[in-house]
Amino acid sequence: MDRMVVESLLRDIGVLSLEHLQLVAIASLIAAVLGVGLGVLGTRRPTLRRYSLAFANVMQTVPSLALFGFLIPIPLIGGIGQRTATISLVLYALLPILRNTITGIAGVEPSIREAAVAMGMTNRQLLRHVELPLAAPTILAGLRTAVVATIGTATIAAAIGAGGLGVLIFRGLASVDTLEILAGAVPAALMALAADALMAIAEHRLEIQR
Amino acid sequence: MAFLSFRDVVYRRGALTILNRVSFDLEPGETLVLLGRSGSGKTTALRLINRLLDADSGLILFDGEDIQHLDPILLRRKIGYVIQEIGLLPHWTVGQNIGLVPTISGWDPTKRDERARELLSQVGLPPGEYMPRYPRALSGGQRQRVGVARALAANPALLLFDEPFGALDPVTRREMQVQFLALRNRYRTPSVFVTHDVAEALALASRIAVLDAGNLEVVATPDEFRNASTPVARSFLDTLKPVHEVH
Repeated sequence: MDRMVVESLLRDIGVLSLEHLQLVAIASLIAAVLGVGLGVLGTRRPTLRRYSLAFANVMQTVPSLALFGFLIPIPLIGGIGQRTATISLVLYALLPILRNTITGIAGVEPSIREAAVAMGMTNRQLLRHVELPLAAPTILAGLRTAVVATIGTATIAAAIGAGGLGVLIFRGLASVDTLEILAGAVPAALMALAADALMAIAEHRLEIQR
Repeated sequence: MAFLSFRDVVYRRGALTILNRVSFDLEPGETLVLLGRSGSGKTTALRLINRLLDADSGLILFDGEDIQHLDPILLRRKIGYVIQEIGLLPHWTVGQNIGLVPTISGWDPTKRDERARELLSQVGLPPGEYMPRYPRALSGGQRQRVGVARALAANPALLLFDEPFGALDPVTRREMQVQFLALRNRYRTPSVFVTHDVAEALALASRIAVLDAGNLEVVATPDEFRNASTPVARSFLDTLKPVHEVH
């Protein structure tokens, strides 16, 4: 095979992997802040919990390509490009994080919560010293699911011009070039596996601390 | 003047009256035992004192003040609370658990740890060995020793015990009762102690009050209680006799 072609493909993989990683990192970070925040508020306000879970549920049910499509015509947040892709990835990643935050906090043993409250912890101290640390492994598990899924979904974001490894896959599909498809698909899969493994280790560390 | 007073306290849950016009006084330095069967309202009475619940009517006075006029957070930090399930934080060491109230009240960490060490020795656990342990590495009795030490950490004005030794084996329970009496002699903190065990009540109480279906029936010293003639008191005293002697 032509050396020039291989070199240019490798360069593309490098650049697009970074782009992909950036897209995933930003979307996951926003989803984590929103998901944990809404989850914590939801444990205090049942109505908010119901509505936010229902919303996140619906968002995850919509096929990802369709979600990109829906967002494009919406003014301000829509259009073609990374912003639209980021927003839909966030909406997509929200459910596992939100759900696990609520489950994790609700799973704190009642006697531990009762003792902490009865000793005079404020709501904020209860959250910081008791609920978040005890829910941390569950929240991290939700984040792990979200990140791994986002790495996969982000390949589709290339369809609306967000860049990333999906660019290679779509280009390969268009020109029926298996090598190019694999050049996008294999790094994306490796990225997902690596993220999963790293976060599994973190989760395990958190669990053995108790 | 009494340190803690209940005046005609009523607590309802839906159509159920859990506490029905309950009145009693707790004098400084004394241990009042609330004796009652499961569901008699004794845990509810405790939870009203530190405002985990609020009464429907009546008055609770803490050191002369209506507790409804006190900030619940500050009130709770003045009250040591020991429950059967203990509720130690599993991700905190024994030292950190004992220092819980000092921590949330903003004590200096050195002073907090010093206090935790002192209390660990007082409940019979060598601090050098136990300060850095996690609750999962303790036996049931050791956990409750830590629970008692935690309740005492910030020099509370009042102590509440909700069947603290109910889940322990009889030998450990006896050790804990001995420990309890020793600590009471040291601190003289007024205490309300809830139990369904009449032997425990007789051993630990300055005075015994019997709660029966939300009604407070007898307030007597252990000696008076032994000779009490009310049916409820008798039914508890009968549990001290061997089964075949009770008719």
